[in-house]
Amino acid sequence: MEPAKSHGSEDTNDRVNILLVDDQPAKLLSYEAILGDLDANLIKASSGTEALEHLLKQDIAVVLADVSMPGIDGFQLADMIREHPRFQKTAILFISAIHLSDIDRIKGYQRGAVDYLSVPIVPEVLRAKVGVFAELHRSRRALEALNRNLEQRVSDRTEELRERADLLDLASEAIMVRDMNGVVLFWNSGAEALYGWTREEVIGQDLHTILSTRFPIPVSDIESSLLKTGRWEGNLVQFTRDGREVTVACRKALRNERAGAPGVILEISRDMTDRLRAEDALRNAEKLAAMGRVAGIIAHEINNPLEAILNIFHLLRGHVALNEEAADYTRLAEQELLRVVHIVKHTLSFYRESQQPVAVSITEVLDNILELQSRTLHLQGISIERRFLTDATIQGFPGELRQVFMNLIVNATHAMPDGGRLRITVRRRVDPKTHLRGMAVSVCDTGTGIKREHIRQLFEPFFSTKSAKGTGLGLWVSKGIVQKYDGAIECRSISYQDGNATCFRVVFPRHISMRQIHSDAAYSAQES
Amino acid sequence: MSDRKFVILCVDDEPVSLLVRSRVLEKAGHEVITASSGSDALKTLRSTSVDLVLTDLLMPTMTGIELTRNIKKEHPSLPVVMFSGVNELPQEEFHADLFLSKLEGPQILCEKIAEVLHRSEYARHQP
Repeated sequence: MEPAKSHGSEDTNDRVNILLVDDQPAKLLSYEAILGDLDANLIKASSGTEALEHLLKQDIAVVLADVSMPGIDGFQLADMIREHPRFQKTAILFISAIHLSDIDRIKGYQRGAVDYLSVPIVPEVLRAKVGVFAELHRSRRALEALNRNLEQRVSDRTEELRERADLLDLASEAIMVRDMNGVVLFWNSGAEALYGWTREEVIGQDLHTILSTRFPIPVSDIESSLLKTGRWEGNLVQFTRDGREVTVACRKALRNERAGAPGVILEISRDMTDRLRAEDALRNAEKLAAMGRVAGIIAHEINNPLEAILNIFHLLRGHVALNEEAADYTRLAEQELLRVVHIVKHTLSFYRESQQPVAVSITEVLDNILELQSRTLHLQGISIERRFLTDATIQGFPGELRQVFMNLIVNATHAMPDGGRLRITVRRRVDPKTHLRGMAVSVCDTGTGIKREHIRQLFEPFFSTKSAKGTGLGLWVSKGIVQKYDGAIECRSISYQDGNATCFRVVFPRHISMRQIHSDAAYSAQES
Repeated sequence: MSDRKFVILCVDDEPVSLLVRSRVLEKAGHEVITASSGSDALKTLRSTSVDLVLTDLLMPTMTGIELTRNIKKEHPSLPVVMFSGVNELPQEEFHADLFLSKLEGPQILCEKIAEVLHRSEYARHQP
């Protein structure tokens, strides 16, 4: 038998299915008429077996079953329904003529919603009882749907939070949350990567103590800005676990206390060190290039008249018309002029004395300079320590290289007016990035030291710590020369209790092997 | 062979430089003729025999490099000394026998020129 009304599919939200089971079609029709007002799908079954088929196929809110049916009777149907876990809660309404034995059996179905109606059926009572069960089912279904929905939302939200946490961890920025007292509450893997401290190490610690943060403005100003606007942005200088100084672009946001949750400060920091360094290098390179262009123009404009004046003094020298006094003045003027020439030659451009680079022994150059300076060094009470661990040569121009080391050694001498130790080290060095075999030369002194803030400026033109004594061009020129060799020059100055140690290190990325030197020597012999 | 006076053609667009440089070379015992431009120098070379050309690098109209190239075309064995106020070597190829900085001063200038003259004289007398 077909369902009485086209029953809605299971997802019909408010219409429930009521299964009517009776072997007599007339009774089924009368139930249908009575229950027609209920907003429900009425499904008719003429036997217990048919009823079970419907039950298995769709969600049934109430089973209305006649107790006495041929084959499977109402009780047997109820037993079978109850056996199935899905139907444990399905409401069963028995219709029976009142026999005492029936009532006893009905009482046996204490679990679940079970009720009975005795014949003759009072339509209002039937409608009311079925209606209550249907409503019960509908509510339960709504509740279940709500539950499912809630579970879904919980799981969605959990997923979202997990994704967000993953994102926080994926972020290359350091993301930190701290409480109002500065204690770290959250520390993502970006922070681990940037600062070197693991989450476990920092949680519960004071954030800015750990990072030795140097603020650009007083902390109280940052705090008042946070309290007023909820935000603050700026660059901070901090230190990593291994003591490396990093500059970070930091954004702070304040989340105020709410719903009992205490206020926290979110900090997102991005490592700017490399970028700043690159910008710095670029600025320097631009500055140097501009200086170089200016120097080239000046050199040309100055050199022409200088040559003429040099020649004029040469002609004046020993000129018969000059008396002794005039000859003296001329000599003095020529001497002063030679100083000018010297400065122009060594600063305004890097003069190459030969066209072809040759193999230059750095240790020879150093020995030569130390020999020249030996008298000054001795008079100033400076002891010399040579640590020449390699005698490799580099391909280049001896005059330039000599100028670089002369500069460093003379500077070291000036830094030790009351004596000290000058240590010069030459060693092989493999570049960690390019793996090129090169060499490093360091010139260290125990002199007056260089202030931290001056170190950055040391290699800039016209910067001098020697006031009247220096032109401020020596290190700038040295740097220019070293860079021509793809090398680098750097300075470190450390102060400790007994004094200072200042070390200039020149790194040349390549040196040439002994065999190359010989062939080059043969080559240059052929040349000349 | 160093007994005879060498003739040097000195080329520069700046008259004062040209004048005093010529005097210095004369003081060193050479005979000097001057030219104030490259074309001037080439014209002179067609009518006069010289032992060496000393030319400035940067000159208007014809640079020292162009002049040298022209000279070497017509007189391949004539030594040319390039002289410059810019200490950096020129980027382009140049065929001069020597490149000298003006800041080396008169003494070195004279010494180097003597060397070049000596070499070219020696080469000329080789069989």
